[in-house]
Amino acid sequence: MERIKLNGRLTVEDINSLPEIPVEGINYEQIYIEKEPLCPEYVPPDETIISSAKRSVVIDPCRLCMPFGALWASVGVHKCIPFVQGAQGCATYPRYTFCRVFREPVSIATASFHEDTAVFGGQKNLVEGIRNLICRYQPDIISIVTVCSSEIIGDDMQGCLDEAKRQLEEEFGPEILDRVKFVITNTPSFAGSHVEGYNRAAKSFLQAFARQRSPSDKVNIIPGMITPGDIREVKHILRLMGIEGIILFDISGTLDCPLRLPQSMPYYPKGGTKLAEIADMANSLATFALSPDEGSAGATYLEKRFKIPAIIGPLPLDVHNTDRLVRKLAEVTGKPIPEELKDERGILLDAMADTFHYTMMRRVAVCGDPDIVAAATRFVCELGMEPVAILSGTQSKVFEQELKEMAEEYNFKPTIFNGGDMFEWEDFIKREKIDLILGNSKAVNISKEAGIPLVRIGFPIYDRVGYQRRANIGYRGGEYLLDLIVNTILDSKFPDDRVHQ
Amino acid sequence: MRQVAIYGKGGIGKSTTTQNLTAALSTMGKHILQIGCDPKADSTRMLMGGRRQASVLDTLREVGTDNVKLEDVMQVGFGGIKCVEAGGPEPGVGCAGRGIITAINLLEEDGAYTDDLDFVFYDVLGDVVCGGFAMPMREGKAKEIYLVASGEMMALYAANNISKAIAKFAQQSGIRLGGMICNSRNVENELELLTAFSKAIGTHLVHFIPRDKIVQRAEISKKTVVEYDPESNQAKEYLKLAKNVIENGNFSIPTPITYEELEKLMIDFGVME
Repeated sequence: MERIKLNGRLTVEDINSLPEIPVEGINYEQIYIEKEPLCPEYVPPDETIISSAKRSVVIDPCRLCMPFGALWASVGVHKCIPFVQGAQGCATYPRYTFCRVFREPVSIATASFHEDTAVFGGQKNLVEGIRNLICRYQPDIISIVTVCSSEIIGDDMQGCLDEAKRQLEEEFGPEILDRVKFVITNTPSFAGSHVEGYNRAAKSFLQAFARQRSPSDKVNIIPGMITPGDIREVKHILRLMGIEGIILFDISGTLDCPLRLPQSMPYYPKGGTKLAEIADMANSLATFALSPDEGSAGATYLEKRFKIPAIIGPLPLDVHNTDRLVRKLAEVTGKPIPEELKDERGILLDAMADTFHYTMMRRVAVCGDPDIVAAATRFVCELGMEPVAILSGTQSKVFEQELKEMAEEYNFKPTIFNGGDMFEWEDFIKREKIDLILGNSKAVNISKEAGIPLVRIGFPIYDRVGYQRRANIGYRGGEYLLDLIVNTILDSKFPDDRVHQ
Repeated sequence: MRQVAIYGKGGIGKSTTTQNLTAALSTMGKHILQIGCDPKADSTRMLMGGRRQASVLDTLREVGTDNVKLEDVMQVGFGGIKCVEAGGPEPGVGCAGRGIITAINLLEEDGAYTDDLDFVFYDVLGDVVCGGFAMPMREGKAKEIYLVASGEMMALYAANNISKAIAKFAQQSGIRLGGMICNSRNVENELELLTAFSKAIGTHLVHFIPRDKIVQRAEISKKTVVEYDPESNQAKEYLKLAKNVIENGNFSIPTPITYEELEKLMIDFGVME
């Protein structure tokens, strides 16, 4: 085997043969490992394996596992701790991802499946785990999330939970079941991605907790997997319009919460959707599921069960979709559209007009989750850009339909990868002339290799800080995203002496 | 070491046949390990004189994966036959298939497969319903499969089904069908039917074991026929079966037949109208 070459003086063998690490340490320069490409130049892959439809394997997937979506949802609920009915890795990986993306610690409990659990079923671990969780953390809600292994062995989750409740009642008395509530979301990863996981969680939380009382004049918002910054922007719009909203899975108060001394132990962030709010969702004027694929199941459930009208999508990331949301909000609540909001829209339009000469005719490739990709595609169309390669890592009918409508409206012919992987998308954009990529951190290497600048949107963004605090949706979010796009174009497409104009 | 797996419809007499077969082999001086792959854990009962032994998975549940010792789960029964029960979860929970995979992996790790063994027998429950129950066929563990059947429609249906699994694994792991064993139910034309069926799926009838009440009597005494009454006719039949298995040179990749062909076979032999 070739020795790993280090830029500094020390090789791996040198470091290993050191009798002890010197007191002053080994500096970064000395241990910096130079990455050498595996092959001298780009070798295109075999034609026959490029199309994902012809393969039975996904290469470079643009999606995460289903439990992750349900965990994301659970984390957005106040004093709710998710309980992963599976092996430790099924909780560790999501926790790691939350940390990378949001830079916040997240409490996720696990049943810690071992070999014997897989054979004898997970009831014992669930019962003990829930007891531990209640004793140590006193949560309001425990959100039980299944994974591939517990689904494959056919764990009867409701039965296991009933047994756990029976034992809790026996040990702590019946009032324990008033203090802590349970919800089960079945998320076998082989049946869908994180997008579907979030969707299922929206339904299961509402099924478990929504209760009809007297009608209110609130509106429900199921945002989907958008950032805390995005959720704050939704709240801002509601505030401007004087509308009281219930945001189901409000991660803005849990995954991006202020750093202050804990007010109580055990510590819980003060934000997140409260149990009483979820219960009250059965009495609202309407439900807005902002992302059609992430949360529409919850909205549809409320509509069927409690006759609360469901308004599903599209994600208000661009002018057209934000207009639509604002108009619908005004229509449902009867409130006027305030001047301030119209001004925000005007500022965005002004910014678009000011920079149109930079953006127009630029050829763009987009990748990510279906809802945000569809909305971002519409936004780049509004900027006069031409979407060329559109990838949704999760297959979606709504996505396909929206893109078709958009293509007709703006008269372009993008290549759509619905439920494809980044391998085929990458190959495609390397063959086309592309000016800009809109995508998440998974597209970083492709962007570097192809020499196409990347504007980061969507989830996950783990190689830059701050993206979770910024909004891309609404008029103000559009402004920010527009600036990102234009500045990236200025950085990469214009010589220094031309960017002044 | 020859590794042999016995499959067949549930209730057809796999465990009885296997135990009598291994008992007969042991009287011929063969060293045998018999592994019961059934959550009911009753496949070595008669070899052990009715004593129930701790199954691999029960032990694992109590002491944890790393602490299972071979001597706790492997007992020596009639004729020096080493007996192991894989065991499994209670009915309706967990995953029995995964249990078999776990148990066999553990046995391998703990060195149950010693070089002095002439035969390892796997007695697998019912049908190959999932990957776990195909474990003895996988990775070339058992190279020979024998199917136990009688002259009844469902028994042959199951045998045909299992031969599909064998045909599939034959390519990957080199397993072969050693033949059919008929555990007679005194159905008319049974021998002819089984011979014809065996031929149809591309194998042969290893032995026809007649029906005899002594099997039940021996079972009540918690013994194999070979131990209970070595001089009986039935014991001689099992010895003949053992001899045929030892001398068997006919290993094939089965050619499963369609349901219609199977039905026609049953009609031809007057079992069905």
